[in-house]
Amino acid sequence: MLRQKAFFSGLTYVGGLLVLAIFIGPIVWFIALAIRPAETAFAMPPQFTFQPGLDAFRHILVNPGTNAPQLVNSLIVAIGAVALNLPFSVPAAYALSRFKVRGKKNIMLWYLGLLMAPPIAFLIPYFILITRVGLQGTYFSMVLVLQTITIPFSVWLMKSFIDEVPSELEEAARVDGARWYTVMWRITLPIVRPGIIVTSMFAFVFAWNNAAFPLVLSSRSTATLPIGTLGYFATSGVTWNFIAAAAVLAMIPPMIIFLVFDRYVVRGLTFGSVKG
Amino acid sequence: MSVQTVLAPQAEKPVRPSFVRRYLPYLLIAPSVIMLLSLIAYPLLFALRSSLYFWNLQIAPQPLTFVGLANYVQALNAFDFRDALVNTLVLSVTGTAIEFAFGLAIALLLLKALPGMNVVRALLILPTTIAPIVVGFLFRYLYDPGGGLITWLLRVFGAPVPPMGLLGSPTTALAAVLFADVWQWTPFFAIVLYASLLSVPDEIIEAARLDRASPLTMLIRIKLPLIRRTAVIIAMLRFMQLFNTFDTVLVLTRGGPGTSTRTLGYSLYEQGLINFNIGLVSAMTWITVLIVNVIVALYVSFAFRNEEW
Repeated sequence: MLRQKAFFSGLTYVGGLLVLAIFIGPIVWFIALAIRPAETAFAMPPQFTFQPGLDAFRHILVNPGTNAPQLVNSLIVAIGAVALNLPFSVPAAYALSRFKVRGKKNIMLWYLGLLMAPPIAFLIPYFILITRVGLQGTYFSMVLVLQTITIPFSVWLMKSFIDEVPSELEEAARVDGARWYTVMWRITLPIVRPGIIVTSMFAFVFAWNNAAFPLVLSSRSTATLPIGTLGYFATSGVTWNFIAAAAVLAMIPPMIIFLVFDRYVVRGLTFGSVKG
Repeated sequence: MSVQTVLAPQAEKPVRPSFVRRYLPYLLIAPSVIMLLSLIAYPLLFALRSSLYFWNLQIAPQPLTFVGLANYVQALNAFDFRDALVNTLVLSVTGTAIEFAFGLAIALLLLKALPGMNVVRALLILPTTIAPIVVGFLFRYLYDPGGGLITWLLRVFGAPVPPMGLLGSPTTALAAVLFADVWQWTPFFAIVLYASLLSVPDEIIEAARLDRASPLTMLIRIKLPLIRRTAVIIAMLRFMQLFNTFDTVLVLTRGGPGTSTRTLGYSLYEQGLINFNIGLVSAMTWITVLIVNVIVALYVSFAFRNEEW
């Protein structure tokens, strides 16, 4: 019996290692591409040991530093998209959580439908519109268009956090004569601040990882990091070490956010509809 | 006297909340709805109008001739658009099914709760955090016919690899694109299913165990029905994301070879931003939007049917 149990534990660990090898192995291999000597990138058979170096990162960040401004651009666009979204989504999430709203279900499902709409379907009209009003290549054009993702996402996720604040607290304040905005601003929002932070973090990841909008709306000087990696394909002779280095830079912020906010990952990825 | 002064403010009370209840919620929701409507109405109306004209940006900056529904007819008759529709459906259906099955298997493995397995669980989500376009680059490297790790592994295990590589052969390209997506999103299913299986009450499991239910019966008859809502929601979300697949295809194959990996998203990209055939792409956009709307409406009404709001 005991031996049987040990056997099954062993089997579980083998399964766990296999899962890690399959899902984390490729990421490690791609990071290795960024720090290995360029000539060993496509060695056959693959070289698992090599002298690591930071030449690729030096190339993309310092000299000539093609991707350094793109890193900044990515930050500007993603932070801008989150910042612009808050004044729209916080009040809406609060109202949908706290008040009786006619057609609440339809409004919520409409937001959800937008999240599932194909962004590519909007790209060409946006491209033509933004060009006509002279906003092409601006950060603002990307931040604005990203609202089609960040606003519905934030309303859904934030509503799930506000739903959890017991309404007795608000009623107590209201009995004391507090007006609705005092209740919202002084009581509910401070309590759900962690929820707002979590929502903003995941919205940041969605904006940061979006490549479709910047692909069409950015210019050479406002291109974001994913577009920058795409740029290496256009230059003659694909330089994979640089692609990998730029891609690793693009991978780091979302990975950190997901590992730090581990508790909320299930909720974030399902827009709050599944509580983890 | 003293009773009346206490009662008076209370009698007034219902007046204020009723005004607040009537207008305030809508005023709070309105900015987001107006913002979103103005962001999506223009593209849709613009595409609706353009779809009725012959208009190629390479020929003229303005629409040329009114052609009625000719663009829609052309889109539906074009073999590449029909292939794209079929590929997109194949990708979405098989992708969601495979990711769900693997995800469930991994979730059950994680539920064994042995020391150290929480490290596996924490790291497992990493593929899902990566931008799809970066996943495209990652797999292009792994699939490289000359020195890719996956190509090498397949050869070591004696599996035949087409000379043009997995992405270069029409028979394997779609499966290769699918595999990249399965790699990225299986962890998503695993983590969410694990979390919801964990919340199945112990008493129910115990009761079933006393009834000598086999592990498989327990999974199919007890656990899965209990997490049905979660399962339906995440399958729906993933199906739609797969349906919109575009970035990964752009990096991996550009829809090729031939039309073997062309998706609806990539077709729209190519007609609009490479060929600048605005009239045709607008018709394709509307066809896509209609299909997506039907699927979303069906799904949403099913998944959130019994929801309390």
